[in-house]
Amino acid sequence: MSSSKLCWPTPNGLPALGPSAILAASVLLLAISASAVELDLVRLFTAIPRMLEFGSHLLVLPDWEYLPTLGVNMLQTIEMTFLATSIALVISLPLGVLAAVNASPHPAVFHATRNVLTLMRALPELVWALVFVSAVGLGPLPGIMALSFVTVGFMGKFFAESIEVIDPRQIEGVAAHGAGWLQLRTFAFFPQAFPDFVGTVMYILDHNLRAAAILGLVGAGGIGYDLVMAMRMFDYDRLLPIALSIYVVVTVLDRMSDKFRRRLI
Amino acid sequence: MSKIIIRDVAKRYANGFEALKGVSAEIPAGSFTVILGPSGAGKSTLLRTLNGLEIPTSGSVQIGERPVTPASLREIRSQVGMVFQQFNLVDRLSVMTNVLTGRLSHRSWLGSLLYLFQRCDMDIAHDALIRVGLTDKAWNRADKLSGGQQQRVGIARALAQQPRVILADEPVASLDPVTGEEIMGLLREICTRDGITAVVNLHQIELAKRFADRVIGLNEGVVVYDGTAGGLDRATLSRIYNRNGDQIDEQLETMLAYA
Amino acid sequence: MCALETVRPSLPGKPFNPTPVWLSGWLVVVWLITVDLELSFETLFYGAQDIVEYFSRYSTPDFSNLSRYVELMIQTLATALWGSALAFIVAVLLSPLAARNLTPNATVYRIAREVLNFMRALPDLLLALIFVAALGLGPLPGVLALGIHTAGFLGKFFSESLERADAGVYEAVSATGASRLQVVMYAGWPSILREALGYTLYIFDRNVRMAAVLGLVGAGGIGLALHDTLRMFNYNESAALIIVILITILLIDYLSTWLRGKLN
Repeated sequence: MSSSKLCWPTPNGLPALGPSAILAASVLLLAISASAVELDLVRLFTAIPRMLEFGSHLLVLPDWEYLPTLGVNMLQTIEMTFLATSIALVISLPLGVLAAVNASPHPAVFHATRNVLTLMRALPELVWALVFVSAVGLGPLPGIMALSFVTVGFMGKFFAESIEVIDPRQIEGVAAHGAGWLQLRTFAFFPQAFPDFVGTVMYILDHNLRAAAILGLVGAGGIGYDLVMAMRMFDYDRLLPIALSIYVVVTVLDRMSDKFRRRLI
Repeated sequence: MSKIIIRDVAKRYANGFEALKGVSAEIPAGSFTVILGPSGAGKSTLLRTLNGLEIPTSGSVQIGERPVTPASLREIRSQVGMVFQQFNLVDRLSVMTNVLTGRLSHRSWLGSLLYLFQRCDMDIAHDALIRVGLTDKAWNRADKLSGGQQQRVGIARALAQQPRVILADEPVASLDPVTGEEIMGLLREICTRDGITAVVNLHQIELAKRFADRVIGLNEGVVVYDGTAGGLDRATLSRIYNRNGDQIDEQLETMLAYA
Repeated sequence: MCALETVRPSLPGKPFNPTPVWLSGWLVVVWLITVDLELSFETLFYGAQDIVEYFSRYSTPDFSNLSRYVELMIQTLATALWGSALAFIVAVLLSPLAARNLTPNATVYRIAREVLNFMRALPDLLLALIFVAALGLGPLPGVLALGIHTAGFLGKFFSESLERADAGVYEAVSATGASRLQVVMYAGWPSILREALGYTLYIFDRNVRMAAVLGLVGAGGIGLALHDTLRMFNYNESAALIIVILITILLIDYLSTWLRGKLN
């Protein structure tokens, strides 16, 4: 092709307004915040040999005596996840109904519940874990409390959203036969929203497992404590087993929930 | 100018289904050929072997001097334009950009990454839009157009490739009869003027009779007719549309009466 | 009352309903866990009053260090922003390779998928610990930790969206003779742009929360500040910190919901 003048596929040949604006805004934001983030490429590059060295430290034989404890703590993490999610599930079902604009008994209740749920999920689990540890002491209990609390915030919101997108005609059909308020929600709303509910629970289980794995950092149970201690004490023979066990458990849950979801759909 | 040689093409799927059972044909350069046949006859499969969207289990296809092989795919495809039943435009992009995707095979990877085109590409795309009569919609989003307009964009995209062959897979099946006729007319006019070899899948016998130089009748993966559009008499049509090779059923009679 | 004794044809046998089984199984597991973790709901119940009294200690927030808190919060936001940007870039590069319909071959596909899974499975806290050890304290290790971990999520979201896009459009663009890269750029990304931006905003949202707590391991300020005030039983300052964090997160939530609304 002889004509080599390049241009964009727009009337004036310049890049399209929308995408350029987004790109420019993002680059600007990043440039402004670069100092806040202490961006230092030199520091990054000089750290690479240290990272490699760290990597080589990891490749040692595992601490065999520690492995049973690892198993127990990993199990504790899984149990915390399951229990917290179960508790949150029970609380979120009614709250989800109250927070759904088409199922809530009264607009005031709807708004109040929505706002409460927003506040509940605003702070990360670890912050609540810090607070609850300070309140009830160390152990898995504050971790479960923190996880349940934040999970209700998310689950309640997701449930409410699932309820809001159901087909109103199906509800009308059941209501026309004289179903009461609670019956309507149990027999008309719930079955329709059920597949979405299951999807939500699977997603939250996945998220909570990862969250539970780090709560131990502040003493709220689970494998997080072992992880941090191993780093601090340079117990390299424990680090890789811990990281691997987290990886394995998370991946297994991931695959299981994928398969489960496919069976339902 | 490209003639197409189809040699004994067969296509058998993993589940054992034989879509094509040894099809051979020679499509002269610059002709307007229509492939007629009932659904499931293998029309789509046959068409798609011509630009490598389907790889035959046996047999070969040759376009001009080049055989269609996995290695030569990109080269063949840059010379072979395709028009689809569902239009297959990129909804979110403008009409112009959609037409410009026809020029991608001539663009470097770096330029494409940045959505850059050359002036001459823009000119070629502009010409293509003039030919299909859509210059006033050049900067509209593709999904904001009517069906007929979208198919025109599809044709413009194929034209922008400056192809030697245009394949059309049921190009008017999603359009109303009036628009369908317009589109077929447009396609025929463009291909005749530019000397492009056209191969079009249709199920509308009327349209085949009106626009085709040649008709290939396909039934259950086998060629049952290969001749001019004028030769489409009742006997031929019943051969093409016959199911299970048994006696002619009432529905077929009715259809043929209106054909 | 039936007038006649009719002989009804019997109904087909009722299919086995597994729901009661699942439900009881679930309750059993919950009970077993409670036992295994030695949780005592009695202490929780009797301690409820203590908890109420405990939370009342937060009732008088102390904002005297507000300017320092705001500074730390800005650092947290910056960390989240850079981390999300890093995640976005890595995800854009990897996701076409992890999309079954766009990947060049099965090996590349599997490797790309596994790399993304690996990045997702490692908790960002662990990554933060490692990067702090390598780079020292500060927000930079937080950026890397968040970036790598959430790249796994974004990469999975993007590749799944790319797989779900209209196959016909991909075909049409390849049929013009376009290369794989060109198909990705012209049929792939334009088709999923809206979804992709929505996911990115969601990840940014999540990263703001995580950045706040990564400070606990030295990867940036505000989490560490909260940890210190709680350790010193300084409830008033803790309350102030929590409020600052809360308001920021709510603002970002609101902003991101608004942006996502505009995208649709």
